[in-house]
Amino acid sequence: MKKLSPMLVTAGALMGLAATAQAAPTVTRLTPPSEMFASGRPDPVIARFLPGQRFDLQATIKPDAGQRISAARFFIDGQAVDAAVALRDCASGCVKGVSAETAIATVRAVSLEKAGRHEFSIEATQADGQKVTARGNLEVVPFTAAMGPKVKNIIILLGDGMGAAQRTAARIVKGGYAQGKVIAPLAMDTFPATALVKTASLNSVVTDSSPGMTAYVSGNKNNNNEEGVFPDDTVDAFDNPRIEYLSEYLHRTQGKALGIVTTADVFDATPAGNAVHTSNRGAGTGIVDQFFDDRSRTGLTVLLGGGRKWFLPAGTPGSERAEGNDYAFSATDPHTAEIVKRWGAAPGAKDKDRDLIQAFQSAGYRYAPTRTALQAATDGAGADKLLGLFAFSNMNVALDKIDGRRGAAKGITGTVVDDYGFPDQPMLDEMARAALSTLKKQPKGFVLMIEGASIDKQAHNMDTERWMLDTLEFDRAVQVAQEFARENGDTLVIVTADHECSGAALIGGSMLTDQALQEAAQKKGVAHLRDKVVGVYEKAGFPRYRIAADGYPEATDIDYRLLVGYGANADRYEDWRTNTTPLRDSQQPLAKSEPLKWYPPVPMERDDAFGEYLVTGQVPGESAVHTATDIPLSAFGPGALAFTGVIDNTDVFFKLAQAAVKGTTAPADATGAKRPAKATAR
Amino acid sequence: MVHPRNPGMSMAKLRRAALAVAASLLSATAFGQSIAPPASAAPQDLKFAQFFRQPVGDRGLQLSETLLSAQGQQVRLVGYMVAQEQPQPGRFWLTPRPVRMSEHADGEADDLPASTVTVLLDPAQRERLIAHRNGLVVLTGQLQVGRQEDGSGRVSWVRLQLPPQALEDAPSAGGAAGAAGAHAH
Repeated sequence: MKKLSPMLVTAGALMGLAATAQAAPTVTRLTPPSEMFASGRPDPVIARFLPGQRFDLQATIKPDAGQRISAARFFIDGQAVDAAVALRDCASGCVKGVSAETAIATVRAVSLEKAGRHEFSIEATQADGQKVTARGNLEVVPFTAAMGPKVKNIIILLGDGMGAAQRTAARIVKGGYAQGKVIAPLAMDTFPATALVKTASLNSVVTDSSPGMTAYVSGNKNNNNEEGVFPDDTVDAFDNPRIEYLSEYLHRTQGKALGIVTTADVFDATPAGNAVHTSNRGAGTGIVDQFFDDRSRTGLTVLLGGGRKWFLPAGTPGSERAEGNDYAFSATDPHTAEIVKRWGAAPGAKDKDRDLIQAFQSAGYRYAPTRTALQAATDGAGADKLLGLFAFSNMNVALDKIDGRRGAAKGITGTVVDDYGFPDQPMLDEMARAALSTLKKQPKGFVLMIEGASIDKQAHNMDTERWMLDTLEFDRAVQVAQEFARENGDTLVIVTADHECSGAALIGGSMLTDQALQEAAQKKGVAHLRDKVVGVYEKAGFPRYRIAADGYPEATDIDYRLLVGYGANADRYEDWRTNTTPLRDSQQPLAKSEPLKWYPPVPMERDDAFGEYLVTGQVPGESAVHTATDIPLSAFGPGALAFTGVIDNTDVFFKLAQAAVKGTTAPADATGAKRPAKATAR
Repeated sequence: MVHPRNPGMSMAKLRRAALAVAASLLSATAFGQSIAPPASAAPQDLKFAQFFRQPVGDRGLQLSETLLSAQGQQVRLVGYMVAQEQPQPGRFWLTPRPVRMSEHADGEADDLPASTVTVLLDPAQRERLIAHRNGLVVLTGQLQVGRQEDGSGRVSWVRLQLPPQALEDAPSAGGAAGAAGAHAH
């Protein structure tokens, strides 16, 4: 459910600054968002676009009581926009607090070629003849002269929630230290260029994954929970003003393909934030349908991850498809009909009984439900298009997938992946390899987004070892992408995060063996579980994790382990040991059959509560939260050296587009390249 | 600030109790294993592993005869309460493994297994929020199998309808209230 943003209230309150006519009707929202409209200041410019990048214009106009808005026109730089204005009222379908006579005027899919700042405005006419105008500004960011050739391929590796702490922890676990020097660096540590990225969204310094992703691939700020759209005043999750994605822009102008790879449910915010336009990141049925329906607009060629429940017809056990979160555009109401007409988008349908796996297969996609099938899909000539759905929702995390594989090798069943019913899930690097072997056949190149999703999800849980191993899994995918980029001189690779999560901090090392740590937990309390455990400064030493042949630690519960604290944590009990979840573990608590307690709920109870060392949190609730801290970005390949300094997340989009559309603007870094950067045929 | 504490149970005692539970869980976890006919009016013990064919396969779930024949019957389930950031009144989830949700950040991109059971309180208690508890819980109620969409659009396939006596008569005055106070900012 959408809410009126504080910005909207501000905009209304400051309308006197924004409107040039003191008419009774008022413009309460003007899109794209701008400070010129919100506060009267021309800076900073909020909305920026590439030359030719498409976006929607929209305004919400409140007429006098008993009146209605009879007409509306948009202007750019004083010239009337030559496109039909869809005008609707709010008798139904608008958010709470918006009166029925309020009008929403929209023009779909406009674009500007001329670089520089532009002023746009709305002029609305009330039925009694009164007019109101409001103005805002936006910028078209010019391409600059190229120093090098265009890159053919772009790979965006997104470690969800992966801040500097997560990267460092993964390095300590995987690489080890000798007298302060790293023995084996992470793949992402070998990238030559680094930037610090500001991650704020349109409506908060603390972003969530939706605007965190879309900033990188649309060049614009979105509201939390929204992807590929600007906020509006309707409840429809799919009718918001759109912004053209990098995938759509490069597919439309160059024919590039799109690949999306994630360890999450494929409908999740990060994967969807590359191809789907919605103000409700939870609208699963509509999101997965739009992946397929608009494949000719995005170039979607590879889609790998979890989320099979959204692809099964409603009658199939396990299906999560529901019409309430699907999408369908009207054929007659211009407000949404114009999306189909001017964007070329599919009209959609409320079709919970759709067999989406079958639809993908009929469209030529090879379907892989398991790791074995994924490998088969890339054997020989391999598939040209690929759909992989390896779990019903999120895939299991790296620690549990590895446990499953190690268990299977020893004939042990009953692991987490067995309980979930998906014992044959691929690791992220295997998915990355399959995606690249499929996409490399694309003559015009590709954009590939690879997400390590549960770095974030396990940080929310404050499940240290699970996010550590997911970061290692992610880095193995980074290595696959880096090797591809080394082999081909035409691929730009960035490794980044959408935001930081949990305020994780590497506070030191345990001063105890794991056996002694378990004994400390039995003695209970702060004195035993903090004061005798947490080694700070030189007492932390260098934790030594032994890495097995599969690339992951032989064990996470080692002697003198790495210790992680949390700065954005909910209350939690801490015993420092890996959170075990086995159904058949002798440590599990007694099953309780007494009556259930009801409201108010007891938070914080988890499997490490027996040590009675309570760490009081600074945030309410049960989970650690996203944080506003800048995150590191690393870049490799031609164009990499453009990624330096302290940059906004939206800047990344323009740097990627520059490299793909016009050519690189910084000297190519040839470190490790097996061949020089090669020009892409125009 | 008052914080809840687990009752002081010795680790040795805890281990003995846990082993007893573990042994009982191991007794009938294999898929397709027949269960001794329940005594008259006694609930049937049902295991998550018996819900559908394992592994899942290429597409949807293949519900087992065991599950389908338990439709409408009184069954006893042993599992973990899902720890929800945003619990829903009148219902919670039960899973074969501990799961924590971060609904605000992740929405329905969750870690719930396909065998998740939606546990429903008695209709007269639909406004009540259930306190999360760690560890295994034993729940007895009427099993419902089949697609059902709730008001939020979430679909469930297996549900357990609890009787009114599944709840304590009133919230405990100790830990629960204290915990609520702990989050007053």
